[in-house]
Amino acid sequence: MKGAVIRLLLLMVLLAIISRAQVLRADSGTPVTLAAGALLLCGLFAGKVAKGLGLPRLTGYLLVGVAVGPYALGFIPNAGVKGLELVKGLAVSLIALVAGTELRLGLIRRVGARVALLCAAVCGVTFLVCFGATFALKPVLPFLTDMTVPQALAVSALLSTVVVSFSPTVTIAIVQETSARGAFTEFLMALVIIGDLLVMVAFALAAGVTKASFGGALDVPGLLGGVGWELFGSVVVGLVLAMGMLVYMRGVKQELPLFLVGLCFAAAEGGTRLHLSPLLVSLAAGALIANLDERAGERIHHAIQQAGLPVFALFFAAAGAGLKLDSLMTVGPAALLLVSLRGVAIWFSCRRFAPADDPRLKRYLWMGLISQAGVTFGLAALVSKTFPSFGPQVEVLIVAMITAHELVGPVLTRRALAASGEIRTDDAPGTA
Amino acid sequence: MQALLVFLSIAALSLLASSRALDPGRFPALARLAASGFLFVLLGILLGPSVSGLLTDRNVEALRPVTALGLGTAGVLLGLNLEPRLVRLLPRPVYLSGMAHSGTAFFFVALPLLVPLIFTSARGLIGAVGAAAMLGAAASLSSGHSAVLAYRAGRLDRARGLGVALLTMLDDALGLGVLTLALILGAASNVGEGLGLVCLALLLGVMCGALLAFLTHSLKDLAELTTVTLGGVALVGGAAAYLRVSPLLAGVACGATLAVVGGRVAERVARALGRVERPVFLVLVFLVGCAVHARDYWAWVLMPAFVGLRFLGKMVGGRLAGRLAQGSLVLPPRLGYALIAQGGLALCLVAEYSMLVPGVLARRVLDVVVMGAVVNELLAGQAFRYVVDPPRSAMAPAAPDAKVAA
Repeated sequence: MKGAVIRLLLLMVLLAIISRAQVLRADSGTPVTLAAGALLLCGLFAGKVAKGLGLPRLTGYLLVGVAVGPYALGFIPNAGVKGLELVKGLAVSLIALVAGTELRLGLIRRVGARVALLCAAVCGVTFLVCFGATFALKPVLPFLTDMTVPQALAVSALLSTVVVSFSPTVTIAIVQETSARGAFTEFLMALVIIGDLLVMVAFALAAGVTKASFGGALDVPGLLGGVGWELFGSVVVGLVLAMGMLVYMRGVKQELPLFLVGLCFAAAEGGTRLHLSPLLVSLAAGALIANLDERAGERIHHAIQQAGLPVFALFFAAAGAGLKLDSLMTVGPAALLLVSLRGVAIWFSCRRFAPADDPRLKRYLWMGLISQAGVTFGLAALVSKTFPSFGPQVEVLIVAMITAHELVGPVLTRRALAASGEIRTDDAPGTA
Repeated sequence: MQALLVFLSIAALSLLASSRALDPGRFPALARLAASGFLFVLLGILLGPSVSGLLTDRNVEALRPVTALGLGTAGVLLGLNLEPRLVRLLPRPVYLSGMAHSGTAFFFVALPLLVPLIFTSARGLIGAVGAAAMLGAAASLSSGHSAVLAYRAGRLDRARGLGVALLTMLDDALGLGVLTLALILGAASNVGEGLGLVCLALLLGVMCGALLAFLTHSLKDLAELTTVTLGGVALVGGAAAYLRVSPLLAGVACGATLAVVGGRVAERVARALGRVERPVFLVLVFLVGCAVHARDYWAWVLMPAFVGLRFLGKMVGGRLAGRLAQGSLVLPPRLGYALIAQGGLALCLVAEYSMLVPGVLARRVLDVVVMGAVVNELLAGQAFRYVVDPPRSAMAPAAPDAKVAA
């Protein structure tokens, strides 16, 4: 670990020199490539340091991103971090593809109903608690103070829908890192994925109701059409992608990691343009491949492990660099209150409603549900864009919550997997 | 969106290039352009702002980070090839021979083209001298890939094939030297500042190279080594682009430092980088193609002169190089014909120049060299036949492999 610390410090010294040198230049060029290189290298060595400290590598990636990013030391400018959006989409697609290969039909039959019930219970309780708390904070939260009661109720519901969401990305990355396998891991992964689907539907409904409360018409067919397109369209596009992958794997048999990276890149960018969910597209593709051809699923798993390290290190370090620490300062108390209430609600609902046949679910499952990342960011940005009058303030509050959840979530997820006894190795080569 | 378009275009062209549609027997010129990557230049020109406009100027500008990454990678690879042991081993006539063929082509192109450039330059004599020097530098560069492919296919004696390849590697030094000079003259408001920027690029490269050697020193895992190598290359290219200095020169300094201090690490880094060399090169030449302004009529006027003068320069320079290298290097009798292919470094040089030097002239240099390079690549296929199958009178006895230089 000492070597990794020295290397990380040297990297930071070099970044400090570069940012000092930039001050001497009247105009600066594009910082995107610098951001990519710096975050990749810092992320890799910070991951090693984190592992040495007994933390997930992912926490190392995130923390070093925060440290060198625009809101702390400022070695990497904001424009550089924003330019890495494409990498974020790519990483989400790759992670979802791996997760999809875990969704075998047998597993869905075995735990599907129980997972769906628990998911509904956890999401429902968490939603109610956050909804109540947000509405109770109406006199304190600046964006709610001037609203009528129905409007405040609608906005509280919208905010709470986003706050409920989990992070399949973080969960799957930690599972990959620790090579965890077993009933508990399967249950956790299935729950965060189903939870995200539930949140997508609920968010669309809440957004429609909020629009109506502010004077717009409640366009039910349009609302259902939009949700349907996002869910079913994503699955159909994912199935087409899966067929393409299978044809490639059977016909070409070469450079699979490169091909998968290219395809996930296209899925991420194309999916966003077509208003589909890149996560769902890749998830459906992975699930179909694993169920049609088990060996192909394993090959994909192996290939993404090869190509995954740089993508994951860069993705999470960039996510860390994008965390707005200043927003944590401005809306800190309200955000921390909601973070605590969300945590308690998840803990309570898992203790109360988790299946009794596996005591580990009652004890440790809640820890795996705390993380929030990409999906929550996306929904927060959507709120800001759709409701320009109050959306940006809601986004700041949600981003502050994500910041807190990103920092503690991965540690808790790893602890849950360790406590369940399903971690196989702590150093799978080439993983996140 | 632009990135997706570039990716899809390149993927489609890669599939086309590897399919039977580009059979060398049926379409030799297209197959040659596909093999050398220059087909991607043409695709870039076609999709770029000046022809179909599918990629707008804004799109091309947004893809600057990718160009910087490509230039940094090219620079690091070039620097890694500067193996100190090999450089020390080469006898002086070999250096003289390399300088002779590249220097002749440089002067054959730079001096005559200086005149029209002076008349079209808005930045005065210094701007025109810098632009003419860049045209000369691009003309001085040759690619040895035809010779290497010919000896691998058994169509050329191995000693001769490697001799040509060695000479074409040495001319890179002249090209980079002239780029340095042109950037000193044109990249800043005065020569002192220009010199400072070039020094900054080199210093940055040296620091990154030393750091990369240290970072990769004890890495055993291949995935980690590849990740650190990619990160290091992105760091040097990106830092140079951010500070608005040359990513290519910074990359060369980084690679050379790594080759000097890295020992065995340099070989492993070169191998790791070799895995991404081809895709990065194809994307880079595609983006260079996008930057061409095909509607600049002055460029169309200058391009035939550039190609013709370069051809003459290579013929004369090749003869001179053959004489100077006698006894030290085994070369084919009609060496000039083997030096017609221009290679990717010429595109890197002019891309760098047009990125860092403002004005129409720098853009025109890019247009002339890129279009000229495509023509030269097509000419090279025909010209190389005179090397592998020369008239009997020109045949010299073949040398054994033992005499291969280095």
